[in-house]
Amino acid sequence: MSLESAVLKKLGQGAPEWLCRRREHAWNVYKNTPLPTTQSEEWRYTDLSQIVDLESLKFLLPGDVDLNGSLPEILEGVLNENRTASGSSFLVDGLTTNIDSEASLSAQGVIFTSLRSAVEDYSDLLEEHLAVEALPPEKGKFEALNAAFWTDGVLLYVPRGVNIKLPFRTVNYLSHAGSAVCTRTLIIAEAGSQVSYVEEIISEDFDEITLASSSLEVIAKEGAQVQFVSIQQSGHGVFCQSAQRTLAHRDSILNTLNVGLGGSVSRVDLNSQLLGSGAKSDMLGIYFGDQNQCFDHNTSQDHVASNSGSDLLYKGALDGSSRAAFRGIIRVHPGAQGTDAYQTNRNLLLSDNARADSLPNLEIEADDVKCSHGATIGQLDKEALFYLLSRGLSRQQAERLVVLGFLGDVMSRLPLGDVVDEVTQAIEQKLLTHA
Amino acid sequence: MPENELIQNLDLDEYKYGFIDQETHVFRTRPGLDEDIVRQISERKEEPQWMLDFRLKALRTYEAKPMPKWGGDLSKLEETLEEIYFYVKPQDQMERSWDDVPENIKNTFERLGIPEAEQKVLAGVGAQYESEMVYHSLKDEWESQGVIFDSIEDGLKNHPELFREHFATVIPPADNKFSALNSAVWSGGSFVYIPRGVHLETPLQAYFRVNQERMGQFERTLIIVEEGAQAHYIEGCTAPVYSTDSFHSGVIEIVLKRDSRFRYTTIQNWSNNMYNLVTQRALVNENATMEWLDGNLGSKLTMKYPSCYLMGEGAHGSIMSIAYASDGQHQDTGGKVVHAAPNTTSSIVSKSISKGHGRSSYRGLCKVYEGSTNARSNVECDALLINDTSRTDTYPYIEIEEKRSTVGHEATVSKVGDEQLFYLKSRGMSEEEAMALIVRGFIEPIAKELPLEYAVELNRLIELEMEGSVG
Amino acid sequence: MSSTPILKIDGLYAKVVDQDISILKGLDLELQQGEIHAIMGPNGSGKSTLAKVLAGHPGYEATAGEVIYRGEPILEMDPEERACAGVFLAFQYPVEIPGVSIANFLRTALQARLEGDDEVDLFDFQDELIERMKLLDMDPSFAERPINDGFSGGEKKRNEILQMAVLRPSLALMDETDSGLDIDALKIVANGVNKLREEDPEMTVLLITHYQRILNYINPDKVHVMVDGKIVQSGGPEVALELEDQGYSDWKEI
Repeated sequence: MSLESAVLKKLGQGAPEWLCRRREHAWNVYKNTPLPTTQSEEWRYTDLSQIVDLESLKFLLPGDVDLNGSLPEILEGVLNENRTASGSSFLVDGLTTNIDSEASLSAQGVIFTSLRSAVEDYSDLLEEHLAVEALPPEKGKFEALNAAFWTDGVLLYVPRGVNIKLPFRTVNYLSHAGSAVCTRTLIIAEAGSQVSYVEEIISEDFDEITLASSSLEVIAKEGAQVQFVSIQQSGHGVFCQSAQRTLAHRDSILNTLNVGLGGSVSRVDLNSQLLGSGAKSDMLGIYFGDQNQCFDHNTSQDHVASNSGSDLLYKGALDGSSRAAFRGIIRVHPGAQGTDAYQTNRNLLLSDNARADSLPNLEIEADDVKCSHGATIGQLDKEALFYLLSRGLSRQQAERLVVLGFLGDVMSRLPLGDVVDEVTQAIEQKLLTHA
Repeated sequence: MPENELIQNLDLDEYKYGFIDQETHVFRTRPGLDEDIVRQISERKEEPQWMLDFRLKALRTYEAKPMPKWGGDLSKLEETLEEIYFYVKPQDQMERSWDDVPENIKNTFERLGIPEAEQKVLAGVGAQYESEMVYHSLKDEWESQGVIFDSIEDGLKNHPELFREHFATVIPPADNKFSALNSAVWSGGSFVYIPRGVHLETPLQAYFRVNQERMGQFERTLIIVEEGAQAHYIEGCTAPVYSTDSFHSGVIEIVLKRDSRFRYTTIQNWSNNMYNLVTQRALVNENATMEWLDGNLGSKLTMKYPSCYLMGEGAHGSIMSIAYASDGQHQDTGGKVVHAAPNTTSSIVSKSISKGHGRSSYRGLCKVYEGSTNARSNVECDALLINDTSRTDTYPYIEIEEKRSTVGHEATVSKVGDEQLFYLKSRGMSEEEAMALIVRGFIEPIAKELPLEYAVELNRLIELEMEGSVG
Repeated sequence: MSSTPILKIDGLYAKVVDQDISILKGLDLELQQGEIHAIMGPNGSGKSTLAKVLAGHPGYEATAGEVIYRGEPILEMDPEERACAGVFLAFQYPVEIPGVSIANFLRTALQARLEGDDEVDLFDFQDELIERMKLLDMDPSFAERPINDGFSGGEKKRNEILQMAVLRPSLALMDETDSGLDIDALKIVANGVNKLREEDPEMTVLLITHYQRILNYINPDKVHVMVDGKIVQSGGPEVALELEDQGYSDWKEI
């Protein structure tokens, strides 16, 4: 079904009134927001008009997806990997097919459920937080699109003081070429709690452009610690659009890692809000492109409260005729004294046709701050390569090793053992198979 | 009101060049801009048809281009442009001896120390008053070697072929809205030609003064540096303080032939009611070196990004800039380097100081085109914040299409540290002296590149600016 | 009765601004002009706080008591006023100020001591600076380096002594100038202080240190032991030697 009010009506069937109103409002915002062009600073390096015609995509609805009771092979594989997790869920074309979590956790009041069931079971919680606090539709065209047409997703709620060791995991799988799938994740960590969450996006290869739109809202209350990891390994033809906004309250730690490996075009908008004094946010990113892949990261670090810290490190390697754009901004708002904010973007160009653009920006309106940013674009370190060659490695092996070391450096800052191994394997896999 | 009294009424501690001369002009266009005004300017200058056509075409480009939405606040500029005089002719002809310059204009430049400096340390001097160069001279020893240092109008008249070959080739009118505007109404500026192999040992200097209230100055400078030649050009700018806004929009084009070397130094100290929107760019050929040294202290809003287009193998571009923004000022400055040939190198060093409610922004571009193998570029931006109401921004654009290149950008923001202040105070300095010393130290790496008398002047300005900065 | 002391500290209490705990707790001390006193004490006894309070560091606040320097109370004075009145603090951790040469800095500091329109004569100053550096066996090129920027620990401390030599204070407060120095660097620094004293026997020195070893090179008239924000023992050089033998452990009981 294409974009129209009828879709909204269908999505609204049986839903509470607040949600129907919220979707309706988002739809209006969507209609009144023009598609961003390269004239706008934030979309300078990605020309949407060349990528996708939103009106022509088929928006999948509950009922459009029919699995015939069997999971696709690729998902079976993931299921059989026997990962350690506190809970896991699977979404196929935007609808949850499996979701479960440790029984002991629900006894402690932890909620890990599909967004569709949360509408019935936790309506008040969603009404308070979903698409209003962190990512209201006014944030942009895609934010509005997602807020109007989301079909499902995940709600993770961790009560006060509950400390969860193993991550929650979600796999988001796409199978319909030419479709548009909108999902959302809402994570609320109450005061003093600890939780980590890992999502993966995978798909088949498609001939037609297929949109995977996701919205992430994370709220870390006083002293909470949250880690969010996204591993994007979708297939050819996918336009992965992800809007992420994290709210870090007093003394909380809110870290994110975005790994971009798959898809034809990948766009991540990440805004980290440091709202409480003492809040900290590490923002990590890795991307590795080949063929015609495009990775576009648009990040912002908003220091609203005093004595908060943020540290961003995005590193990418680009082969084939892939390209990457990074636009980052540190904003130190008036009164945010004692801010410590850093931002680094480093790119490795591996081929003659690869291209990288980097715009690390600063806007500082308080004087007692420590801020710095850096960006580099360069080629493989010849000395390192030579060293490895002189030890008998083939050029290809040596290059792989140097790239892995370059990207792996980011992960050394992430204390998530299993996940780090998985990401490393995924990068190795891509290094081995890419042309 | 007698001139003396007027001066008394101005706050000279803040801005010592704010004095107003009696208004004298032999001709001026009516306020505002249309095709008729462009025709009047061209007619007054007795220009060839091609230049009139060029101007009219540029006017249409200007009108078609929207006002930039980035950079500084230009929301009131449209209004200002409706009220300003686009062309004011101060005297009938340009002079080559100070004795022939009208008394009041000569006094102005004397108060700015120009004739004195000419005798001492300069190879040549040009002085622009309102829309026209009123004085231009070059020492004989350089003239005899074929150096040309003239007003841009005389360049067009006396060297039509050389002029037409290079004019608007570095900055086409359609480059941006204000280069289009300048192309339509340009008046005054220098035409400089340094012949092959000639090394000018002392600088050429041009001095720009706006006196008329609600005035627009649109100087146009074209500089051609032949193979292996070397020279240094300095421009300085001041204007009186009026309650209404004025406008300055220059276009400076420089062509560096192979193995040449050129430095362009600007000490911009316009009064705080001046919009200063300038386009300056150098085409740098094989193994040539271009250096921009850009000091922005005055104006209400400056938007200015000196550029080096590195077109030939081994070309080098360097941009050093200091920006100082205090209350009511926005310095949106930086630099652009475009690498379009192998083994080209560039460096940008930017230092900014924001005081009170001042805002300084670094905006820069480093672009490396495919095929510019072994290009290297390094950008360093440091910002110093004096008060908690001050603001600084950094917007570097880095666009790389060539894998065999190395590009780095680093920026830091700091405030004057309490421990630094205490250390200096414990040696007997007042807070203001201590602050001024730290600020001078901060800009020292760039200030030391300035000719001595400018460095001294810069330090003096900063000391004045620091008064009353702490509280 | 002895003459008026150059520095008299009477019942001084002080704390870090924004904190409630006193670090100096009723400290008394008197220095006669031309004397060298050493204050020794374990870490955390408040030695460096005393130095900073005397120099007027804005991070510290005197909450009770009096400090009389040359007959005037100085606690209300700004740090620069104290400096111009002849108080000099050699910092334990000298601050780096990029881009400002030592020569330029010292000229500005001397200028700050002059009245009205008087100006430091550039040539006289250069001569004086070279002469002072000669006295301290320093290479003249040192003065062209930016203040403490990229200096080794020893260079930073020598820079402090050079500043002392040029600014010629009446009262020099030396805050752990010996800490972090190897024996050669220590000798150079101590030598410098001794030369300045020979030249001007009226210069009073308050040497704050954790270790006895610097007192092998600079002979104090009096040694005070400071524990928990107070002077707990005063005497001649023998006190330092006793401490060397017994350490500060005896005082921990108090």
